[in-house]
Amino acid sequence: MRRMTKTAALLSTAALVLSACGGGGETDTGNGGDGTGSGAQSDIKVGMAYDVGGRGDESFNDAAAAGLDRAVEKFGFESQESEAALDEAETQREERLRTFADAGVDPIIAVGFAYSPSVAKVSKEYPEVNFAIIDDEVATGKNIANLVFAEEEGSFLVGAAAALKTKADHIGFIGGVNVPLIKKFEAGFKAGATEVTPDIEIDTTYLTQPPDFSGFNDPAKGKTAAQGMYDNGADIVYHAAGGSGGGLFEAASESGNLAIGVDSDQYETADPSVQDVILTSMLKNVDVAVEEYLTDVEAGDVPSGVTRYDLSVNGVGYSTSGGQVDDITDQLEEFKQQIIDGEIKVPTS
Amino acid sequence: MAQAQVAPPGQLAVRLSGIGKQFPGVVANDDVNLEVRRGAIHAIVGENGAGKSTLMKILYGVQKPDSGTIEIDGSRVDLSSPADAISAGVGMVFQHFMLADNLTVLENVVLGAESRHGIGDAARKEVLRICESYGLHVEPDQLVERLGVGERQRVEILKVLYRGAQIVILDEPTAVLVPQEVEELFTNLRELKEEGLAVLFISHKLDEVLSVADEVTVMRRGSTVATVDPADVTARQLAELMVGSELPSPTTEASTVTDEVLLAVSGVSLPTADGRPLLEDISLQIRCGEVLGIAGVEGNGQAELVEAIMGMRPGVTGSVRLGERDLTALSTRARRECGISYIPEDRHRHGLLLDSPLWENRVLGHQTRPPSARGMLIDKTASRRDTERIIEQYDVRTPGPDVLARALSGGNQQKLIVGREMSGKPQVLIAAHPTRGVDVGAQAAIWRHIKDARREGLAVLLISADLDELIGLSDRINVILRGRLVSEFDPSQVTPQQLGSAMTGAGPDAETGR
Amino acid sequence: MTERLTKPLLAVAAPALALVAAFALTSLVLIIAGDPTGEVWSTILTPPEARNVVNVVNAATVYYLSALAVAIGFRMNLFNIGVDGQYRVATFAAAVVAGEAWLPGILGTVLAVLAAVLVGAAWAGIAGVLRASRGVSEVISTIMLNFIATSLVAYSLRRVAVREEGSNIIGTREIPAESRVPGLPLLGEVNGEIYGFVVVAALCGAGYWFLLNRTRFGFDLRATGQSPEAAVASGVNVKRMIVTAMLLSGGVAGLVGLPILLGSAYTYGSTFQSGIGFAGIAIALLGRNHPVGIALGALLFAYLEEQSNPLQILVDVSPDIVKITQGIIVLTVVISYEVVRRYGQRVEQRRVAQALERPEGERAGVTT
Repeated sequence: MRRMTKTAALLSTAALVLSACGGGGETDTGNGGDGTGSGAQSDIKVGMAYDVGGRGDESFNDAAAAGLDRAVEKFGFESQESEAALDEAETQREERLRTFADAGVDPIIAVGFAYSPSVAKVSKEYPEVNFAIIDDEVATGKNIANLVFAEEEGSFLVGAAAALKTKADHIGFIGGVNVPLIKKFEAGFKAGATEVTPDIEIDTTYLTQPPDFSGFNDPAKGKTAAQGMYDNGADIVYHAAGGSGGGLFEAASESGNLAIGVDSDQYETADPSVQDVILTSMLKNVDVAVEEYLTDVEAGDVPSGVTRYDLSVNGVGYSTSGGQVDDITDQLEEFKQQIIDGEIKVPTS
Repeated sequence: MAQAQVAPPGQLAVRLSGIGKQFPGVVANDDVNLEVRRGAIHAIVGENGAGKSTLMKILYGVQKPDSGTIEIDGSRVDLSSPADAISAGVGMVFQHFMLADNLTVLENVVLGAESRHGIGDAARKEVLRICESYGLHVEPDQLVERLGVGERQRVEILKVLYRGAQIVILDEPTAVLVPQEVEELFTNLRELKEEGLAVLFISHKLDEVLSVADEVTVMRRGSTVATVDPADVTARQLAELMVGSELPSPTTEASTVTDEVLLAVSGVSLPTADGRPLLEDISLQIRCGEVLGIAGVEGNGQAELVEAIMGMRPGVTGSVRLGERDLTALSTRARRECGISYIPEDRHRHGLLLDSPLWENRVLGHQTRPPSARGMLIDKTASRRDTERIIEQYDVRTPGPDVLARALSGGNQQKLIVGREMSGKPQVLIAAHPTRGVDVGAQAAIWRHIKDARREGLAVLLISADLDELIGLSDRINVILRGRLVSEFDPSQVTPQQLGSAMTGAGPDAETGR
Repeated sequence: MTERLTKPLLAVAAPALALVAAFALTSLVLIIAGDPTGEVWSTILTPPEARNVVNVVNAATVYYLSALAVAIGFRMNLFNIGVDGQYRVATFAAAVVAGEAWLPGILGTVLAVLAAVLVGAAWAGIAGVLRASRGVSEVISTIMLNFIATSLVAYSLRRVAVREEGSNIIGTREIPAESRVPGLPLLGEVNGEIYGFVVVAALCGAGYWFLLNRTRFGFDLRATGQSPEAAVASGVNVKRMIVTAMLLSGGVAGLVGLPILLGSAYTYGSTFQSGIGFAGIAIALLGRNHPVGIALGALLFAYLEEQSNPLQILVDVSPDIVKITQGIIVLTVVISYEVVRRYGQRVEQRRVAQALERPEGERAGVTT
């Protein structure tokens, strides 16, 4: 019993400390507090509640942070930040928003759909405070702005690019976690590919199942999944798996195949050694959305309701750095126009 | 690390003068004086609690004395840890072996002493050299879990020698051995002595002490009371020195055996996968008021027989009856409820919850019966009261029933177990080594209780490695060899030597009983 | 020191020692990390507002049940790491049962609770049966069952989920209002309600204490935990005890998610709180498997977590400091209890030795 107690203590302590380390990575809350911009001064205090991973996750949260940083720079806002802990209770998310509100922060931007119930609840308790939530349109109210993206449209274009570029007529999709949001990526990607080549073979896999969200941050899993697809004959694989994508690029580089990035232009952010395998990236411009929202706030015209960032407003898109899609840009632009014009309806699931 | 040069025999290896050690409220050692020569076996005898263990811990650096001096090979030393003691050439073989079962002999020996000869061929050569020069027969690559008790002890001695010990302390080394193994141990000890080592030998068993020791020091109540030459004293005189009073002996009284068969075991076998059964067709009957002794070299099926009767062993065939009742299909608990009591061989592992208070240990094995239980609940008040009764009747020395079992000395733990197992009017008592490792006083008390219970009609199955105990207490003695009952003796006619040869299966003597 | 004084003093000494050590070590970490130590402590030690008290009690209720489930195993030397999987499977089952509203109102609630207990017990029972019949370590089997639970729940959730258009959260059908467990607005309606389930948790704690310390079954369980060999010799059927203990542990684990499910979430979805089972292991250690100790440990953990938001937002310190503090507290508690236990043992042995120093006349047994 006693020996077991000691073992158990060590294990659970290790687990706690590991989750502390793993959760944050390079957690940098130093930019919070009274991070005032260089130029202008403003009375507006912006609060940003990140999802698990927070600033420094090189993915979704970082994109939101980039938008915030640009707005702070431009308008001289004060900003405060806070990130979610792994396995936290619903009440903790609510309390995060309340703590912001009590500290006089307005507006409060919640990053990620996990905040949906808490934004819905807390926004009613603080009707005079403005909220914005990214990737969710369920929590609605007069003081809530829903910043959502047409991920399926961007995915359609990179799907089309993959179908145009594949030599094997065999491509793949890796989702980080099997949630409806990522399903949208998959649906768009498949629609784009089959639009070009109706009988194209598409492998699909999800790294983890909720409530295990590690699939967004596990390069090893991503690499294994990608290797499987390349071994199976696919020559281009698209990922919507956040930090796990690094594993995909490695696998592509080692097997001499191609990969498609997600969210930001990963050709720019990836390790130079794997740059040449990145065919293109599906751009989901969270930073643009955040920056635009804050620009409206600065202008005194605080948005509310759903704002959909789709192809028509360049909320989503595809990247061209590296030049690998230069030869098919015309075709992709044509698809883009057809989607904008409504000639092509992209499914979301 | 420096290996002391073997000094010529006869020279003083250890001199303790005026050693005193006090724990708050208790004087553990007081004015202890001891001189141990090289090339000699020096025995230390004394009751449990006489201060032997404290003294050995002081010599092995586990505890520091409050007063007095320690000299090793003529120079004063200050031992503040076992590491100090080891580098001064003192080694200790504990009563409870400290071996890793899943490692080989060689690995066990080298473990923790890797810096001496590494873990490779040099270490193996050194181990073989030690085995050779001291006549210790062990196979270096054998797994320790495969070894018998005697062999394990040799591994412990080997460990000590490997670490360069010139002074070897053995804490009750024979408590766990059968006569033949004891003889082997003594042969080994004599080899050590021949090689010029000093051997310190702690024991209760006075006959053994007299047969092997060159000098005997008696301790009583923390002090050394006398050092004698074994040639000049008898075991009785030695024992009287130890307890300071007249002594009991396990003589049988008038037979109380009746005709009524209480425990009937018939055709009990325990087959194993490798075809060599652990028990083979064992049948025995014990009548009301009878003590049946089982003699045997350890590992010949005694433990299995006990477990078969208690229903603790799966795979047993044959039947067990208690009076008219067939127990064969019943669980251990049901058998206990029917009136079978059990004093297990290893009290720490099977008999006690060391980290529980005494009253909970009183409940153990009686969970379903009053006074321990009332319906589905444990009756704490009644259990405590009954524990107090046991403490009183069985002279368990403790401040009260709420003390943890661990805090008691071995003898007092055993008295508690005996008292517990005698509670609730048992019909049959299975007693496995009931006085192993307890002091003379407790031993006498336990013998007396067994005799009293026998007089009142209890049937007792007594398993013991102490042949005097078997002969003194039993009405009949059966010898178990390789899982079979091979012969029966009348204790009033048999000598320990005859029993010994029957136990090892040697010679025609085996059948003298019948 | 008399015995009457020693025991309670020792009981208080261990946690006091642990807290002081944890305070010092955490401060050291803060200093090394260059964080404002004083501010951090003053924020952590700021008395919480009523609303936060409600949150803390609610979170502690959940942790309490989880730690209780772990503790049942601990008392028998079984390391049920699978509480996490057990409560997720069980909560999902309860959410479906209550959401489908097969029985009306309170009956639906009762049915859901029953379903959770049975499913949790069954899930843990698998590990128990494997251990008893095949000797598979429950540590390994429960870890594996956690993975299986994750996949099973994810798969089943997709089967039965209802999804609101535009939402990225999928969940079971919402539990009808009349089958929910009402909260207790003890600190005023504005400040939120304490889970009604807190009563159930308290009853479980009392039941745990009674079962272990007052019943034959509890005695057998503790005996088996202390020494399986001694338990066997005393007539305990150890295999049956293993299975029973795992079933009990799993049954309590089944309750873990219910305060949230029936008290605030009303649906089991992809954002339902996970990892409670692992927190339970730490809290069971912290509470020394004692029902009151576990309650204090659960409150302490919940309180620290409640302070992680102000720490970030007001003091600008990473919330990881909370996890580190929790880890340090667990370690210091285990170590300080071991230190105090050894000290207590020495005191006791000394006391026994003193008792042996009775005058010669009282010494019986030597003369027969």
